Amino acid sequence: MNELSPLQLIFNASPAVQFVMLILLLLSVVSWVMITQRWLVLSAAKKGVQNFEHRFWSGMDLSQLYKEGTEMQRENMQIVGMETIFRAGFKEFMRLRRQASVQGDAVMEGAQRAMRVAFSREEEKLEKHLPFLATVGSVSPYIGLLGTVIGIMNSFIGLANQAQATLQVVAPGIAEALIATAMGLFAAIPAVVAYNKYSANVDSITGSYMTFSDEFSSILHRQIHSD
Amino acid sequence: MHNALDNVVIYNGYPVSIVAAVSFHCLVIAALIYYQANRAPQVLNLVQPTVVKALLIDVNPQVRNAQNLERLRLERLDQQRQTREEELRRQAEAERELERERAAAEERARGQAQERQRQVDADADRQARLESERARQEEARAQEEQARLRQLDQAREAERQRQQAAQELAITEFELVQSATALIQQLVQENWSRPPSARNGMRAILQIRMLPTGELVSATITESSGDVAFDRSAENAVYRAAPFRELQTLPINLFNRNFRTLSLIFQPEDLLF
Repeated sequence: MNELSPLQLIFNASPAVQFVMLILLLLSVVSWVMITQRWLVLSAAKKGVQNFEHRFWSGMDLSQLYKEGTEMQRENMQIVGMETIFRAGFKEFMRLRRQASVQGDAVMEGAQRAMRVAFSREEEKLEKHLPFLATVGSVSPYIGLLGTVIGIMNSFIGLANQAQATLQVVAPGIAEALIATAMGLFAAIPAVVAYNKYSANVDSITGSYMTFSDEFSSILHRQIHSD
Repeated sequence: MHNALDNVVIYNGYPVSIVAAVSFHCLVIAALIYYQANRAPQVLNLVQPTVVKALLIDVNPQVRNAQNLERLRLERLDQQRQTREEELRRQAEAERELERERAAAEERARGQAQERQRQVDADADRQARLESERARQEEARAQEEQARLRQLDQAREAERQRQQAAQELAITEFELVQSATALIQQLVQENWSRPPSARNGMRAILQIRMLPTGELVSATITESSGDVAFDRSAENAVYRAAPFRELQTLPINLFNRNFRTLSLIFQPEDLLF
């Protein structure tokens, strides 16, 4: 073999190393799917927060806002993010308020509870797949290392059968083994970077949700006690 | 306001993501292949390092002596052959000289005879007889000469063959001694574990005595390295390597000449300091 290319090395690798490489390739592809998907979701959520805050604070009547949302739902468009929290709280508030027997504080409590539930659902949606990215980031270097160790082990076993140990005998095996580590790192680095970035994004988005629900409940509170 | 694209993206973002991820990986692999294809012409030219073989240096004085003796003997033979050839050439020269003289004498005699013939016609008959006699004699001499030359050639041929045979024998003997020495060297080397106090440039010479069976009779240090541990390690190496069973295959005269007593030089050369 006078010329070594990474592809040639991959195809000539031993089955165990090839298996490890396959796992790493799959992990890499899946993690990139997650990275892109999360990127789309989180950037959409951020934009959604801005949009809804803009609409909410534009002085629009709250029941008008609620009605708009209902229409959108009827058009088969899904309501997400902050608007879900708003809708859950407002719906509960209106329902409890219509019942004369319920006291003001109880109405507030019910609305807040509904918002909390909606908030935790939204948070769950945002944080989906992030643990997977974290796992890929921390585990795939080890998988790559396993492939490397197996490859080097094989090449040293081959070396033991050789009367004269030359560089040419060991080099292909070690190169092949190192490719596994390279692939592990290739899968891990983007996953770690994405995990860190996305968890910071999720924190900021959920923070803004939290702030919004507090502000909204203070508005509702004012409405109850103004009557 | 929500737009339709956002809506699609949030809940059905997976197809887009899958396409993106797979195409990203394809791109990476394609880039790798492209890079490889472009880089192919400049193949890394590996310069073979000169092999530095760190070995226990073991020059056997006896083997060297035998080699020297052999060389001397061959030289002497060569000289002898040359002097002999010289002599033969001189002999041939002398022979030729004699021949010439004889021819001249004949010429003279013939001249005289002719004169005499002219002078004495009566003697013609006898003269003719004499003439024929001389011719016969001459022929016989020529034949004799040829035979001698042939004999000489044969002798020379035989001599050359003998020399060749001797040389071949010497080579095989030398090879046998060499291989046996290398074997002993290797065995001792395998069994030699050098102490930590060993340094490059240390030198210990051991004289070992062996039996034709390859068994070790004794090993004595004839030249100490100055380090007791080093000397002992050398001694241990020899004891551990013995017996050298392969020496049994050597012809006894060869063994007696080369391996009855043997000096081994222990000198580490491959240490770092």
